[in-house]
Amino acid sequence: MLTLRKAEDRGKSDLGWLTSYHTFSFGGYSDPNHMGFRALRVLNDDRVAAGKGFGAHGHRDMEILSYVLEGKLAHKDSMGEEHVLGPNEVQAMSAGSGVIHSEFNASETEPTHFFQIWLVPGSRGIKPSYQQFAYDPHEKRGTLRLIAGPEKSTNPPSAFINQDARMYAAVLGNGETINYPIAPGRHAWVQGAAGEIDVNGVTLKEGDGLAVSDESSLTLRGAAGGGELLLFDLA
Amino acid sequence: MGDINALVVFYSRYGATEKLALAAGLGAIQADANIRLRRVADRADAATIAADVHWKKNLDRMNRDYVAPRPADPVWADVIILATPAESSSEVESYVASLSSLGSMNGKLAAPLAPGNRESALKPIYSAAACCGLVVTPCGQSSDDPIATATSFGQHVTEMARALKRTS
Repeated sequence: MLTLRKAEDRGKSDLGWLTSYHTFSFGGYSDPNHMGFRALRVLNDDRVAAGKGFGAHGHRDMEILSYVLEGKLAHKDSMGEEHVLGPNEVQAMSAGSGVIHSEFNASETEPTHFFQIWLVPGSRGIKPSYQQFAYDPHEKRGTLRLIAGPEKSTNPPSAFINQDARMYAAVLGNGETINYPIAPGRHAWVQGAAGEIDVNGVTLKEGDGLAVSDESSLTLRGAAGGGELLLFDLA
Repeated sequence: MGDINALVVFYSRYGATEKLALAAGLGAIQADANIRLRRVADRADAATIAADVHWKKNLDRMNRDYVAPRPADPVWADVIILATPAESSSEVESYVASLSSLGSMNGKLAAPLAPGNRESALKPIYSAAACCGLVVTPCGQSSDDPIATATSFGQHVTEMARALKRTS
């Protein structure tokens, strides 16, 4: 079963310095029909104006991934971590028993465009942790590049998350195709990040999402001009 | 989402009280509170601040890192953690004195916090908070580790707010 979540149907908040599209309920946008999909709880498509950002705020019991499409994101937290994140870099924070952090556009001139993704953790109250790694953009060209998963991996690097879920990224050229098997009983979410992708015959444009259940495989194909996608394999 | 809303309001010039406030906020999160962190503005004039390089540098950073207090914050809060430097409590005291104009504070907790539990810093805030109708918590225990103490304090006052909410 494939259920399309169109980009234009997402929630939206516009604070002037922040334009955010919410695939699932978040902040002031609340829709009981869109509270998440399996462990995937938040998928925000954020554009932050130059020099602006999210002041210090707290999190608890959430696996938080940041995936930058354009620009730079500066992060600082109560664990003492202070980093700048750009495209082809991944940040994963396990909020666990509690974290306070801030996030700002690290540029004073250019906007930042990134996905912020929250997954409900498999267990509560774990020790908070922070991970960040870079990868070669060629590693997601025409193939699914593992970004985060429940196994620790350093070669090639991916983020460990405290949940039975995997997140992949891929960039597909026009007509380029990937087949992805879905294990029995598992589900998937495919998010269009840029351009156009066909998923089992459904076209995903930038910002569209597709919930996948009771399917045995996915055929991901770059449509007109190709595109970039995120794939979540979920229990 | 936690069941208790904790507002952490602090005044800091060089970052020491900011660290206490963050630790208390973290303690509140650990006790399952939703938190908001707010820095109250300086009362000193711009020229005085500009003349102190470290103060100015920290102020620029904190103005970026923290949202200024908003009228809706104390209305939202079940507990207001008030962190003040030992040497200057007037900024937080003024903030507390303004609360009664924002709505009823009855039944909410005020949890003042100062480095070393300095009595001269805490007493004006206790007084201002009580006069607003806030229930004032006693100071936390002193120890050699002020950050750990502030974290425990944040946990403890969140639990107190939870107990108070349950009975009200």
